[in-house]
Amino acid sequence: MRLAEVERGENLRGRALIRIISMALGARLPDAARVAFYHKGFVGSTLGAWTHEAMRGPSAWSVAERELMAAMVAQWNSCPFCVGAHRAIAVRGMDKTIADACLADYHTAPISEPLRATLAMLETMTSRPDELRAAQARAAMAAGATRQQLTDAAAVAAVFNIVTRYANALDFAIPTDAEFDKAAVMMLKRGYA
Amino acid sequence: MNAEALRAAVAGAAGVTEASLRTAVAARAAGGPPVDEPYDDLARKIGEASYRVTDAEVETVRQAAGSDKAAFEVVMSACVGAGLTRWDAATRVIEEATDAPG
Repeated sequence: MRLAEVERGENLRGRALIRIISMALGARLPDAARVAFYHKGFVGSTLGAWTHEAMRGPSAWSVAERELMAAMVAQWNSCPFCVGAHRAIAVRGMDKTIADACLADYHTAPISEPLRATLAMLETMTSRPDELRAAQARAAMAAGATRQQLTDAAAVAAVFNIVTRYANALDFAIPTDAEFDKAAVMMLKRGYA
Repeated sequence: MNAEALRAAVAGAAGVTEASLRTAVAARAAGGPPVDEPYDDLARKIGEASYRVTDAEVETVRQAAGSDKAAFEVVMSACVGAGLTRWDAATRVIEEATDAPG
């Protein structure tokens, strides 16, 4: 973590919170949570609310599919923290081999066609937003995704185009696989808000 | 609207830095015009390739901005700018795809 005050907490209350949750978790509190607790009145609360709605709110996409989308955005943005964190949550709701096949190459992974076509739109949105065209949204709908599903997926990708950037810019410490698993249980229980 | 609330939060009164700096940094990370150094380097890199940001770039911005909290605002503003420009692009094409005749 490149900003020391974000890592340790901005005041006594923040530092106590980090200590208590780390103890409950049985692991170092991941840096994503430290950012979420820091200077919340700025953009943190608003971003947390949007993230929670996108990831846990009503949607035709399952929670696991949305977590996989988050991991895919992280992969396109070269963010190892978010790949690890969101893969760990996704595989609690989907077959691990499918999630890993998708992360390796979503074009050939055994996923639904609506999801595959939606991921193609999200990849362009993430990596080459200037090249995003209506044709890609039409292709995803032709593959079976609804307009609402595309909007829901775009919200996931928008949020994680923010989160992955600060995870990288602030140089989040990378937890072990066991720590990612522990955090995944917490994230499924508590969500993002 | 979540996206509009976030856009407003970047420009809002809760920041310790100047709102004009935060909005300029957000626009820069979305491909907009250059801002003053040392903020320009960091904002541009967060927009284009955040994995290439260095310790030195964040530290230089921390010193220029005056505190961890101020540097945090600069970083977050750039990230939000890059994310929201993608949201805008996606919602535009989804609308075009569903509203266009034929």
